[in-house]
Amino acid sequence: MRSFGRITGSVFCLLVLGLCVTATAEDQKPKPWDGNRTTPAHFIPLRDETNELIVPTDPNPMPFSARYTCGPCHDYKTVQGGWHFDAMKSGKNGRPGEPWIWLDPKTGTVLPLSYRKWPGVWDPKVLRLNPWDFTKLFGRHMPGGGPAEPGDQDVFPGMDARWSVSGKAEVNCLACHNKTGRQDHSEWAKQILRENMRWAATASGGIGEVGGMASRLKETWDVYDGPNPDDHEWAVAPSVKYKTIDFDGKHRYFFEIAYPPDDRNCLACHSVSPVKETRATAAADVHTAKGIKCAECHKNDLGHGILRGYEGESEETGNRTADSFTCRGCHMGEDPAGEKLVVPGRLGAPYPKHKGIPLVHFRTLSCTVCHSGPMPDKDWARVRTSRANRLGIYGVAKWSTDQPAIIEPVYMKDGRGKIEPRRLVWPAFWARTGGKEIIPLQPGVVEAAAGDILKCEERIALVLAALAGACGENETAVLTAGGWTFELNVDGGLDASLLPGAAKPGEKGTAAAAWGAKKDATLSPLVPNFDPAAPDKDPAVETKIQSILEGLGTVAGAPGKPVVMVRKTLYQITDGSLSATEAPAELAAASGPGWLKDNKFEPLAADFDVRTVVAKAGTEQTLTEEQVGLVLKALATKDPGTPEPTKGAVSHLIYVSGGRAFRLNDDGKLTSAASDAAAAPVTWPLAHNVRPVQQSLGWNGCTDCHTADSRFFFKTVKGTGPLLTASITSKSTTSFMGVGGFFQRIFGLTFAVRPFFKIVLALTILATGAVLVVFFLVVAGKLAGLIEKRS
Amino acid sequence: MFAIITILALLATGLGLAYRRFRIQHPSAEGNILYAAIILDFTRWLGQRTPEILSKPAPAGWPAWIKDFRLWRLPLFEKWLLIGLYGSFLYLAASGFFFAIFIRRGLYGFPLVLHVVAGALFAVCLTLIAFLRTRRFTFNPGPLTLPGDFDAVRKFRIPWGPQDWAKGFFWLFFLAGFSLAASALLPMLPWFPYKGQIILFGWHRWSALVSLVAAIVFADLELFRPKPEA
Repeated sequence: MRSFGRITGSVFCLLVLGLCVTATAEDQKPKPWDGNRTTPAHFIPLRDETNELIVPTDPNPMPFSARYTCGPCHDYKTVQGGWHFDAMKSGKNGRPGEPWIWLDPKTGTVLPLSYRKWPGVWDPKVLRLNPWDFTKLFGRHMPGGGPAEPGDQDVFPGMDARWSVSGKAEVNCLACHNKTGRQDHSEWAKQILRENMRWAATASGGIGEVGGMASRLKETWDVYDGPNPDDHEWAVAPSVKYKTIDFDGKHRYFFEIAYPPDDRNCLACHSVSPVKETRATAAADVHTAKGIKCAECHKNDLGHGILRGYEGESEETGNRTADSFTCRGCHMGEDPAGEKLVVPGRLGAPYPKHKGIPLVHFRTLSCTVCHSGPMPDKDWARVRTSRANRLGIYGVAKWSTDQPAIIEPVYMKDGRGKIEPRRLVWPAFWARTGGKEIIPLQPGVVEAAAGDILKCEERIALVLAALAGACGENETAVLTAGGWTFELNVDGGLDASLLPGAAKPGEKGTAAAAWGAKKDATLSPLVPNFDPAAPDKDPAVETKIQSILEGLGTVAGAPGKPVVMVRKTLYQITDGSLSATEAPAELAAASGPGWLKDNKFEPLAADFDVRTVVAKAGTEQTLTEEQVGLVLKALATKDPGTPEPTKGAVSHLIYVSGGRAFRLNDDGKLTSAASDAAAAPVTWPLAHNVRPVQQSLGWNGCTDCHTADSRFFFKTVKGTGPLLTASITSKSTTSFMGVGGFFQRIFGLTFAVRPFFKIVLALTILATGAVLVVFFLVVAGKLAGLIEKRS
Repeated sequence: MFAIITILALLATGLGLAYRRFRIQHPSAEGNILYAAIILDFTRWLGQRTPEILSKPAPAGWPAWIKDFRLWRLPLFEKWLLIGLYGSFLYLAASGFFFAIFIRRGLYGFPLVLHVVAGALFAVCLTLIAFLRTRRFTFNPGPLTLPGDFDAVRKFRIPWGPQDWAKGFFWLFFLAGFSLAASALLPMLPWFPYKGQIILFGWHRWSALVSLVAAIVFADLELFRPKPEA
């Protein structure tokens, strides 16, 4: 009897558990659309990451959590599987897209990364980048989720990860769906950089003001510890102050939701703009100009598998709807196989007639070749993209960068053998090679091993900053060398400008380095020319020398004691006051400010530093060959992962730039080779901006592309990179396309005689047609008896 | 589809012409009224002929065979006109059908450029031939008379003699040539949209097939006339 009761109890428990599981599963099922086309008013109670209701007037409220605030109606796990969030886990790679580019100008690193297996990009795991590192690097342009919301198993993978302090950046629904103008992408980026991951959505969505920086808190801090009572200035814990006016009496927040998302939210991370254009002249995509929103073609359901709109997507994703949203699907009603299986004319897409365009074009070219990106010009169009060049983040500091140098449109064959326009970037990175394996080094590893080699600008900038105090009103301390003037910029770096009357850029002068002051474009020596022994010398001069020496005394890591040499007189600060003594004989040749080290006079900036900054002045490059050689040697001795520096050991280290891999040979000289696949450019297809039809290739006829000197076929892509070198790779566009360059030139030439050819063909058709007509008339005439039969 | 039909059409043409030779060389077969017996005889003949042809001293004997062509003895202009016509047509057919049947991508690259050049040469030569030679191939039928009664309708025959087959295929070749030239020119003009281009492309291919079959039959009937067996 007892056992029967036990069994009955167990069955009952199982039934109850089963019902609960079923009920939960039912709850989590996406609710089907009821058919109403409006977006419901979103008065939603905010919930925090522990699913607790947020009362905005509480003294220290938590930030809202999309998982628990939006999740009850929009299954969060389903959303997490979307294209924007599943790169780390999804096996679906899709057509190559723009990689994340790790840019570090100091070490000359331009490293394309992606969790997706796209050609030429590096898996962050290969570089030992954990989700924390990745989020810190690129979270500025991520919509939360993915690496920014790692699973519990990934929370403590590295010493640097501070998820327990920062929280996770959940999928930020508002990043795309916030309709209000409050959605602030800059705020998102700042919060991520401050490691305020769990607060970022609240701050950027304009729901509340977030103060404090998790990055300054100790790793032992927990969100439930609350504010730091001991520090109200530096290590201030993040906190939220909700905008209570947006809450109703039931503590429900009014979300103004954009469905589908507004373009401005897409463009925060997906803008691409030509470098040469201004905002006023930059053309818009023709679809946008017609009022079509990004998300009206790039659709998705709750699974957020955004349609990317390329041919072949439906086969890869299994989503047959994708065929309707390719160029060909919308405009021609054809699937990639050319079958009329999809509905044409969505959103009023016009049917293209393509009059007079031979069929081979449709077989070998994607639509975007003629219709997307800039028209092929003499030079490549350099563009900046939101994610690569950090666009769209505004504040006191300048966030956007000129590097990496991305060019378009480079025409290449896709996986189906069709030519398509692409964006291209040349990778640049330091790496360790072992056989065929190449493992890029993190910039931090390189910088640590390089020591002072990569700090030429920094050292000069430090001196210029130190000299600023000695300059008069409206004066700036400058270094002149090699025909260039270097002065400090607001970011603490160096700005170079050509000296008036100096050699033109590219023709570096040889004038020696000198320190001076600049006022209204007029340069004067830092230390005026005077005779220290003269009885009537100006006392202000020695005051200035004292200021110079005091300023130089603040330079961290100075190689020696600051001194100023003027005509065999040595000025230095002794016991807090200026002393002038006769210089020792060995210093007699010295002049101006410098460092006294071991009784030897050293210039304020070492020859290596001056040589390096002069070489790079006026260029985009951040490394010289000399620096690369020195860093390779330093890495060979200091990088712990590199074999012992026995003979040939340095050849295990390479630096990739401009399409070539640089390494040291057995004699310690820098050599380069173009054969390394890792040095090849990384490309990804472009689809926007789509140009108006009158700006399409071919609108003006065949000679838009088919001439002997066609800009479509005959340009050269030259390797670019942070290294200042003449050793770069050049590649013809025809080799990118996989078509014969010689053939295309000959074929292009034939178009010069094409009109004549057409006339000849037309005349022959007329003549043979006339003969045929006569023949039929004669035969008919004979049959009818109108013409007499020949005897 | 086009490749299969092309191969079948060429096989049928070859077999048809072989059968014609068989009938010419074996007039006795005319008396046979059983299809099975005719097919058996023809197969047997074909089985004997094939090794004979293969055992001929080709290509060592080709120069003499080619040298024997009447073409070389023609007046200079006519000779080069025909060389142009035959040469361009041979290249057009070889390049076009080879790429259409065996190369998935179709005709491309330098063979395509040469195809276009040869096409122009072919069109010009065909036009000149039209003015110089078509008179020779004009049909010369008597006037048709309306049949008076039902019996006359039953007995009515189109006035078509054995020599008219060569003329017929000449004109078919000529018509196909005209069609080829037209379907080559029209896609280059800004008149036809995508669908029109597809139709013109098909038109060009099928015209080429008709042209090739007509040329083969015409050549066999007119240029390489079979001789009855002694």
